[in-house]
Amino acid sequence: MSDQSVSRNPATSPLLLSARGLVKSYGRNRAVDGVDLDIPERAFTTFLGPSGCGKTTILRMIGGFETPDAGSLILDGRSLVGVPPERRPVNTVFQNYALFPHLTVFENVAFSLTLRRGAQDPAPRVKRALEAVHMGEFGARYPHQLSGGQQQRVAVARAIIAEPHLLLLDEPLSALDRKMRGHLQIELKDLQRRLGIAFVYVTHDQEEAFALSDVVVVMNKGKIAQKADPVTLYARPADSFVADFIGSATLVEGEVLACTPGNATIATPLGTITAPAIEGLQTGGRAALVLRPEHLQLDGCSGMILTAQVEHVVFKGDRYMIEAGIAGVTLRLMSNRPPEPGTLISIGFDPVASFITRIAT
Amino acid sequence: MRLTLHRAHLALPVALVLILGCLLPLLLLIAFSVFTVDMDAFEMVPDFSLANWAQMLTNPVFAFLIGKAVLSGLITALIAAVLGYPLALSIANLPIAWKGIAQILLLTPLYTGEIVRIYAWRVVLGSEGLINAVLEGLGLVDEPVKLLLFSPFTTHLVLLYNTLPFMVLPIWISAELIDRRLIEAARDLGARPFEAFTRVVFPLTIPGLGVGLLAVFALSAGDMLTPSMLGGTSGATPMAMIDNLFGTAFDWPLASVLALSLLITLFATASSIGFLLLRFKGARAVLQGGLK
Repeated sequence: MSDQSVSRNPATSPLLLSARGLVKSYGRNRAVDGVDLDIPERAFTTFLGPSGCGKTTILRMIGGFETPDAGSLILDGRSLVGVPPERRPVNTVFQNYALFPHLTVFENVAFSLTLRRGAQDPAPRVKRALEAVHMGEFGARYPHQLSGGQQQRVAVARAIIAEPHLLLLDEPLSALDRKMRGHLQIELKDLQRRLGIAFVYVTHDQEEAFALSDVVVVMNKGKIAQKADPVTLYARPADSFVADFIGSATLVEGEVLACTPGNATIATPLGTITAPAIEGLQTGGRAALVLRPEHLQLDGCSGMILTAQVEHVVFKGDRYMIEAGIAGVTLRLMSNRPPEPGTLISIGFDPVASFITRIAT
Repeated sequence: MRLTLHRAHLALPVALVLILGCLLPLLLLIAFSVFTVDMDAFEMVPDFSLANWAQMLTNPVFAFLIGKAVLSGLITALIAAVLGYPLALSIANLPIAWKGIAQILLLTPLYTGEIVRIYAWRVVLGSEGLINAVLEGLGLVDEPVKLLLFSPFTTHLVLLYNTLPFMVLPIWISAELIDRRLIEAARDLGARPFEAFTRVVFPLTIPGLGVGLLAVFALSAGDMLTPSMLGGTSGATPMAMIDNLFGTAFDWPLASVLALSLLITLFATASSIGFLLLRFKGARAVLQGGLK
């Protein structure tokens, strides 16, 4: 199906799916509010956001289960508007798998191949698809005889057997326990590389998004908050929502005193701080300083030194997580030794490692 | 879901009712069926005799009556399925507020007594009845259509009316239990809407359809009032005959033989329906694994 001559690098691959101005409302609620999107071939793209942010609605519009109120959706150069799900070169791995309970694993996977009259014997392709997900032995079982992880694998096999141009995955691992999730993440990523088809993945789990994706699209209230690779997303969040949703961060708001290209100076309760900043901040406006635990060092003696009072100490296995208050701001940092709650500690902090971003509306 | 041994005691009350209310009378019937009637003393005596069973097998009237009851049940069940299935699916697809109304409309006929319904049908279908009055008024017929009342048509129309809810309810519930994502998955995998119906929806509603068929069959094959009060000369049923034999004729042994024969035939027919439905692809898996 897929053209072997195209580039292996997702970033420079030709465009597969393109959306412009997508809008979908349910009653008064705008689930998707003007989304523009380009998905290249072979890329692993993940929609990440809290529940109700519109990520699943976008997936369902691509799959053909929801009709956009406005906007365009173009796949392989053809508009998807008005095309029913069965005629889209797209397949879906549903949340909770949606395996057909009255059909065996073999019949579930063969479903799309047996719909057309005069189809060839599906057995060899079903066998290959099941082997690709390590379920070769289970063809004769019924879904209720499988564990959650096994059902998930069958759902993937069923969705890839028709060789879609695009595979949609709607929180496919959310019903599984942590260990199984980690295991299947690696398998999914591996499968995507082997198949060379584009995956569009929906999750609310940031670790999962980072582990799998070439590009992560963070959604907030029906809009795209930021679209970037995981490293950029973490180090250069486009606004305070992204900074807060991705990883652990303390956000300190303040007034912008000065802007230079790439940097800004803001007045915060912690003092006046100059740090790398997002483009487009206005002098006199407000912005947020993003402090990640790894930017802060207990007993540090370089950069700025902050004196804070220990509020909580939580044992995390390899280290301790410390929450310490200063000027009404709670800082979070990691340490090898647990300070006594209530005591004062000095925290070293290098502003160059932190980031100043916009305040999300 | 399997009934494990340590939960078996939960079935005890039902088992007791079944044993006392069903098995005991059945054993009595079996005993009566080989007794004889002393016509001089006008009482039943426990003298072993197979004469009544012989009469059952040789007299074509009995076989005819039982056969008619079975056929009646099968016809009613089939028509009810054809009419009830689409109705049940449409109800399952209604918005939630309308479902309540549909359920009330569906069950209203059951709240009125059977006798009331029968007399109401007489008013509607009779020679002086509503339908004939309209037909005559419109000049479509010159004289009342006699076939409307006291005919096999009447019997089956009313049996159908009485039993339709028992067909619609189980199918509706089984359709309601189908995860919508299964239909989306079928479409996603290339099935057109009708294919999604035949490949996914229909197989998953077979348990409901089966319950409906069995309920309607049993209710209509075993009905006595409707055929005898609305069927006219065609209204003879094995039930009415059993009633006569037990009551007026005081021939309990023959009545028992007829009752047992009817029971065996209905049971065999119902089991065949159930067996045939279980042979449908996947119906067994659905019953074993549930719909998840």
